[in-house]
Amino acid sequence: MEYALPVAPGPLTQLGRVLVADTLKLRRTAVLWLALGGGALPVVLNLLIFYFKGQYFIKPGTNPWPQYISMSWQTASVLLGFFLVLLSGLVVNLENRGGWRQLLAQPVSRGSVFGSKLLLLLSLNAVAQLIYVALLLAAGVLLGALRPGLGFQNNSIGLLPILRMLGHTYLATLGILGIQYALALAFRGFVGPLAVGIGGIISALTLLRWEHIDLVPYAAPNVVLRLMDFKRGLAVPAPLSAAEWYSLGWFGLAVLIGYVLLLRRPVTD
Amino acid sequence: MRPAPTATAPLLETRDLSFGFGARPILHALNLQVEPGSIYGFLGPNGAGKSTTMRLLLGLLRPASGTVRLFGHDLARHRVALLGRVGALIESPSLYDHLTGRENVEATRRLRGVPAHRTAEVLALVGLAADAHRPAREYSLGMRQRLGLALALLPDPDLLLLDEPTNGLDPTGIIEMRALLRRLSHEQGKTILVSSHLINEIEKMATHVGVIQRGRLVFQGSLPDLQRLQTGRAQLVLETENADTCRNLLPRLLAEATVAGPGTLHLPWLSREHTAELAAGLVAAGQPLYALRQEQPSLEDTFLHLTETIKE
Repeated sequence: MEYALPVAPGPLTQLGRVLVADTLKLRRTAVLWLALGGGALPVVLNLLIFYFKGQYFIKPGTNPWPQYISMSWQTASVLLGFFLVLLSGLVVNLENRGGWRQLLAQPVSRGSVFGSKLLLLLSLNAVAQLIYVALLLAAGVLLGALRPGLGFQNNSIGLLPILRMLGHTYLATLGILGIQYALALAFRGFVGPLAVGIGGIISALTLLRWEHIDLVPYAAPNVVLRLMDFKRGLAVPAPLSAAEWYSLGWFGLAVLIGYVLLLRRPVTD
Repeated sequence: MRPAPTATAPLLETRDLSFGFGARPILHALNLQVEPGSIYGFLGPNGAGKSTTMRLLLGLLRPASGTVRLFGHDLARHRVALLGRVGALIESPSLYDHLTGRENVEATRRLRGVPAHRTAEVLALVGLAADAHRPAREYSLGMRQRLGLALALLPDPDLLLLDEPTNGLDPTGIIEMRALLRRLSHEQGKTILVSSHLINEIEKMATHVGVIQRGRLVFQGSLPDLQRLQTGRAQLVLETENADTCRNLLPRLLAEATVAGPGTLHLPWLSREHTAELAAGLVAAGQPLYALRQEQPSLEDTFLHLTETIKE
């Protein structure tokens, strides 16, 4: 008696199915709140700073937007690292209580499982940063209404430099995201990657003046802040900085290592 | 041990399957053969290698040597295609506690590309329809087990791999689970491999049995085969006044007898003629014969015998 070999779904179908299932698993999780609400923290902090102490930062008669954007982005860049460490740890941790056993026994390749979680992380990172920018601009408008003396309502800011800065920041975060994803897969727990991530961020902030800081992925979101130029309003060049290229390199390497780790992982838990 | 080839190709087959954690061997050249439509009871004490075998059958672990064949095809080469026809419950079900029962099923349904109506069907089948809206973290162990079974049944699989599925179930739940598995096998022709460390559980539903001990398959065959095995281990129990005196008086007939008590002897049951000769011999020797009966070992005794033999 011969059995016909069942037809396996194609790789993209598998990836799509895992991604849909992974998205469903985010319901009522801290991950979702972190991605949707994480961008609000630096905005709220800077809103309060400008509301109460704005007169000390803004020279009367000048456009307050570049200064406001710059200060807020600096706060956000420090918090971004912690956000990425938490995000990647929490997404992978959803499977750490036996979920891997269930997930990897399903008729999908390990590559699609890996790819789905990576796409989810990339999307959540993008969503969080887009929400941050939207909230940042909305808070500026709000400041114009609440503190007319600062001049937000009488001035404007170009969207292009902000979008460019968003693009640079996003690329600069990919190194951390890739490394933290691979670490979360390697450690099979939440605490290990969290400890390494926090250590990496603190080390990077300490080494910000080092001449080779471009090489350090955890520093990249802060290093790209140097791209903001305030000579005439806010200007951000389009070409990628060295820190972004290195961030992309780290991302590629970490993703490769993470994939091999998951591919070879024996499921014993 | 490799059973005799059968007319029907096995639905699940392992060939010299071996596995170890580092240098520690866990499974030794396992040759399982599961016939289509059967309920195969995979028996063994805790730590014998049942769960490891189950994980190998699902591709969760990579064998050190040997192969797993499902539906006649090599699992290592066609894992995704073959697992599309398999439903599995490995040990305690791994659920997403923050999701409701229904959302847990939905996550797996979407991942497998199963039609939407199956979610309600499997929840009803395992009796969880009324509790499907509750978060899985509020489920009792029995409910979790049933939800795990629902996940396994979701794709309407041809082959079900269930690792200790009655764990945590109350007696009613165990009876219901057993009835459900029998129904799936008899009415829908599903092949079921169910592992357990309880022979009583297996003998009530299995058609075939494999016994594993310390990573080796020590028995494989149909349930009647296992029952026949125990017939060969029947004992004769003889009750008299003085067991030692009887042994001295009838050294040939009681050569293999062991003294189980002051007036009780146990000896292997050989034949009806031997029993009659023994009774006549005792009476002729002037010894009282209070009782002479044949005792069949229970399946549990046979299982223990099989699993203890290898220790010696």
